[in-house]
Amino acid sequence: MSLRPGRGVTASLLAFLVVGAACATGGQSSGPPLAGCNSGTKLALFWTSHTPPDTDSEQHIVNAFNKQSKTTCVKMVAVPGSETDIAKLTTAVRGGTGPDVYELDRFTVAERAAAGVLTDLTSYGAADLASNYLDFAWKEALFKGKPYALPDDTDARVLYYNKDLMQAAGEDPSQLDISKGAPTVDLIRSLATKLNKKTNGKYTVVGFDPRLNQGWHYTWGFAFGGSFFDAATCKVTPDDPKIVQAFKTMFWDWAGQLGVKDLQTFESTYAPDTPPLPTEQDAFLTGHLGMVVSGDWVLGWLKQYAPNLHYGITYIPVPQQGDSPATWAGGWSVVIPKGAKNGSGGWEFMKYFAGPEGQKVYTQETTHMPTWKSLLDDTSLFPGDHALFRKQLDVAHSRPALPVGALYWDQLTIAQSAAEHHSQDPAVALKAAAATVNAKLQSFCPLAT
Amino acid sequence: MIAAPRFHLTVEDRRNLRTALPFIAPWMVGFTAFTLYPIIYSLYLSFTTYSGFGDATPAGFANYVYMAKDTLFWQSLGNTMYYTALAVPIGVVVAIALALMMNQNLREVAIYRAAFYIPSILPLFALTFIFIVLLNPGFGLVDYVLGLVGLPAVNWLGDASYTKISIVMLAQLGAGGPALIFLAALRAVPMELYEAARLEGAGPLRRFYKITLPLITPVILFDLIYGTILGVQIFTPAFVLAGGTSGGGAYTTGPENSLLFYVFYLYKQAFQYSDMGYAAAMAWVLFIISVVLAFAIMRWSRQWVHYEGA
Repeated sequence: MSLRPGRGVTASLLAFLVVGAACATGGQSSGPPLAGCNSGTKLALFWTSHTPPDTDSEQHIVNAFNKQSKTTCVKMVAVPGSETDIAKLTTAVRGGTGPDVYELDRFTVAERAAAGVLTDLTSYGAADLASNYLDFAWKEALFKGKPYALPDDTDARVLYYNKDLMQAAGEDPSQLDISKGAPTVDLIRSLATKLNKKTNGKYTVVGFDPRLNQGWHYTWGFAFGGSFFDAATCKVTPDDPKIVQAFKTMFWDWAGQLGVKDLQTFESTYAPDTPPLPTEQDAFLTGHLGMVVSGDWVLGWLKQYAPNLHYGITYIPVPQQGDSPATWAGGWSVVIPKGAKNGSGGWEFMKYFAGPEGQKVYTQETTHMPTWKSLLDDTSLFPGDHALFRKQLDVAHSRPALPVGALYWDQLTIAQSAAEHHSQDPAVALKAAAATVNAKLQSFCPLAT
Repeated sequence: MIAAPRFHLTVEDRRNLRTALPFIAPWMVGFTAFTLYPIIYSLYLSFTTYSGFGDATPAGFANYVYMAKDTLFWQSLGNTMYYTALAVPIGVVVAIALALMMNQNLREVAIYRAAFYIPSILPLFALTFIFIVLLNPGFGLVDYVLGLVGLPAVNWLGDASYTKISIVMLAQLGAGGPALIFLAALRAVPMELYEAARLEGAGPLRRFYKITLPLITPVILFDLIYGTILGVQIFTPAFVLAGGTSGGGAYTTGPENSLLFYVFYLYKQAFQYSDMGYAAAMAWVLFIISVVLAFAIMRWSRQWVHYEGA
């Protein structure tokens, strides 16, 4: 058998060369990288961990940007992730396949910047945009005084109540009318008790469960006038007596009055934490919860999933009559991760997405709130009930922007869970949380203001 | 040939080895790059502070010292050991029971074998989601059946005392794999022994305890060690049920962190708190614990394992 290359080998070599030449010339065609973009634009990759309906709105913004940009073509990809889980982002950046823009929960910006995941935006001229943004939102985007993110949306929390359920229990909903100011915790407790309903020994309706939706440790800590961080000593202060009192009243005592196990069963059935029920089965929307503390995005939920639910909104309850109501504002931001291949293209997109054009669309479509100051004066963006949230934004607290933000949140949640389940005294649990977080925080002190 | 006292290569052996090395080189390269190097690198990392980016700053034994004081570390270790101590013995019993059922001399036994085996090849995260619905205290099937027999309903996933038991139940769906191995072991038991026992008047239970069980002890040992190694690495059910992206990672992992297993806490440290050094230290501690456990089981096995022909 001869070992010289036969005709078959020659033919396949020729075919390979022809195909290779065709591919090479094909790559040099001058069409746009994606449909909907202008030709000559460079691709920029945008990752977000949001889900519909928020991602639907973000896609609208991306499409509008692509139509008008002569330099950049943005491809939006929804990736797994959450407020504190950015495993997909960190592994991709480490492997050199990270995106150019990522949507990051704003209160973790300091933490991720400290870890070295984010690009300092000073070289892009981000500092010039500072005056356009809400003060507290801009501060959250800084680490050691340098900007690492552009704030996009924000939100606030209020108390929602179900007027139908109240009337069915013989209570006048106007007791909670907003004109009467912030209700007291005692008033809410007495109303909620009338709304509780048990079937076959299990709760099918609970008047108020302080911790559901947005009834977090931060929420009640701020409502009771507590402070979570002492900048002077660079120490977190979850053991602030007012926060301890909030835990005792709203978590420990409240769970005790409803019955710890009974409340657990109710939550597991109608309002499980993980995995959560789909939005349309939310306990408040389906009439299993009489009142709930939640954010402005619920206005959109109610319109879409429970249009016949007669609801009202008012300030978050306060411990004593006459106390000023408190709420806190969160929100997201856009960042450029390290190793971005098209950082300048990403920056072009970020200025649009987190600028007046993008924020206006997002506010209108998802009933969040903008962080762009001039948009906040546009009353057409806050129709009806949304106006209360806009008003609350002026006095809203925000979470301390620390390089240990995610750890602090988790420690507070552990203490909260222990209080609800009566497994550890709030004062003890919060002291332990303080010790754990301060141990990690000390290596970052002093923090630049 | 009398066995040489030392490992001795003849000229021909050496020539064969030279020819063989290029063929096994791909695997060796892969093993070195993806298994051996990460193991050594993680040992190095465990003595540093490292966020995954920038430089790894040396930290001596700081990570290990912190571990000793970290309540969540001890809780996650406790959760994992509790789960392993329950799931592994129960798993062995369930696998043997399945194997016995698969070993029946029926015409349709092939259908039964398939039916018992299929759950173990279904994706674990899909089974987890189904379990969540089954275990719902309000309208789940399990509590409904308990109610029918007059037992009180249990909040399987909401009550910290029952969450790990729920995962143990879920893990039994994977008993099909070990069951097949037990089936092979059962069929390897010589029929003459059973004949002889039947002639002497031994009932089925005595035959099982005196013949079957001793002869399948090697497979039981294998399943114990294999089950223990898998058990201490439990991750997926906790991640799907109670952590990661479901619920936004904002909640505790299960009520009062009762589902915070060791490897999941390691994952949190590495990717949520960006503390790779501490996560690497945790990985090495787990490795040492696994080795100690496997060694302990092997020592203990000398008292009850019967190797055929020994």
